[in-house]
Amino acid sequence: MPIRHDRKVSILDVMGPVMVGPSSSHTAGTARLGRVAREILDEDPLEVHFFLHPPLAATYRGHGSDFALVGGAIGLNVDDPRIPEAIRIAEQMEVKVEFAEEDLGEVHPNTVRVETRGPTREVEIVGSSIGGGVIEVFKINGFQTRFKGDSPTLLLFYRDRPGMIAEVATLIAEEGINIASLYCSRKQRGKDAFMQVDVDSPLSKAALQRICSLTDVADARYLDRIP
Amino acid sequence: MIESFKHLEELAKDHDLADVFLETDAEEHGVPAEDILEALRKRRQVMRDCIVRGKNGGESMGKLVGSEARLLNEAFLKGQTFLDPLTVKAEIYALSVMGENSRMGVIVAAPTAGAGGIVPGMLMALEEERHIDPEKTVRALVVAGGIGSIIALSANISGAAGGCQNEVGVASSMGAAGVAYMMGGTTRNSIQAAALALKNTLGLVCDPVGGLVEVPCVKRNALFAVHGLTAAQLALAGVESVIPMDEIVEAMVRIGRALPRGLRETAEGGLATTDTGRAIAQRLKDEANRRRAERAAERERMAQERKATGG
Repeated sequence: MPIRHDRKVSILDVMGPVMVGPSSSHTAGTARLGRVAREILDEDPLEVHFFLHPPLAATYRGHGSDFALVGGAIGLNVDDPRIPEAIRIAEQMEVKVEFAEEDLGEVHPNTVRVETRGPTREVEIVGSSIGGGVIEVFKINGFQTRFKGDSPTLLLFYRDRPGMIAEVATLIAEEGINIASLYCSRKQRGKDAFMQVDVDSPLSKAALQRICSLTDVADARYLDRIP
Repeated sequence: MIESFKHLEELAKDHDLADVFLETDAEEHGVPAEDILEALRKRRQVMRDCIVRGKNGGESMGKLVGSEARLLNEAFLKGQTFLDPLTVKAEIYALSVMGENSRMGVIVAAPTAGAGGIVPGMLMALEEERHIDPEKTVRALVVAGGIGSIIALSANISGAAGGCQNEVGVASSMGAAGVAYMMGGTTRNSIQAAALALKNTLGLVCDPVGGLVEVPCVKRNALFAVHGLTAAQLALAGVESVIPMDEIVEAMVRIGRALPRGLRETAEGGLATTDTGRAIAQRLKDEANRRRAERAAERERMAQERKATGG
């Protein structure tokens, strides 16, 4: 019997999204991956580099994935009719865009690494478009994670120390918000660490501010559901 | 969570199938049932708009398709088609949606864009031909989506993961369940319709010419919309699959894994590597290179201009 991955996909994910054609893996999913990078960057990019896993590199152009990736990376939604014009729009915005092939290892065929740089920060993500517009981001700025973009999420970059998870969880609980899932990883004990907190309802700006001002937090980012 | 089709059948035996899906999905994903219905009403309208626009045809991005919906629609309007109107409309509508998709138009991925013509083709044709309340179609979209979400517990819904069976096969399976529901079938009828449709698409490979969602995808959607309708017809008459739906899904996953890489959306096998397929791929590549060179030249020209005016 094949191993079930028990990936819980909602009815609206299956019967959707509403998107610009022609391929949910290659247009919608890739646009959402680009969009994840844009949302984490949280400012207009100056440069975006896409490193495509070989199977995706072989097929991306015919499916308009180049338009979709760029469209997402400059902040367009998957159903934005301007997606076919995304590369031109990026040129007008004077965003430097580059595509290259890169073997990303034992991953889904449609996997891409995105490096994007804005005026004040840089972001790197690695993620797969697994079909039907559904995505799985498994690396953010070098940290292992599991981000699907299907719920509001808090991303936290901090210095690893005892009590950090409890403090963050307390601040979120004080908002009356339920944590759906929590994922932590770190590069080394006591060094750079990362926390992804998926929550059931939106987090207020004030709460984010409070989390940001915790000792040892380097950066915090709040992302809504990725459309 | 609905664990399997067996579980679904127990759960929804004496209940409305759409209600069961709405209830469990709302619980699982935190989206209220009414919000799911409202989103699907909008998506039904996107499907409808797509069909209206797409009927007139138009050239695709890769220029390999474009006239299919228009040709069949014209023949239908002139009374020159021989199949019954429901079947012909299912084909026209599936072709219309896929035509729009191939022109980078706005569509509903159902469950994917490449298989996005099948569910609207079947459901919208049925709604029109049998004068079914559009709200019932919306609930059939819930059923179709719910069926897909159970399949997705085991399978990646993409041609790259398991070939076309994972896209067109799943779409016709979802659509067949939706049609059985719209025609007043039981939960068992819907699951059997899904099973019959999926079973008979197993092994279908994904070998798109030039890597585009055009050949064979566009016409295949029309043919598999009809396939789904016939599966629903069999199921409603009480014909049942010997192999249970859960096991069919398992078989699909195993077959998908066994498919060589060249037949999983890479355009490195099957139709894509026929003489004609290769010639088309070469032409597309040449055109893309030419366009890139033109864009580079245009950028260069603009940079020169800026320098001239700026200096």
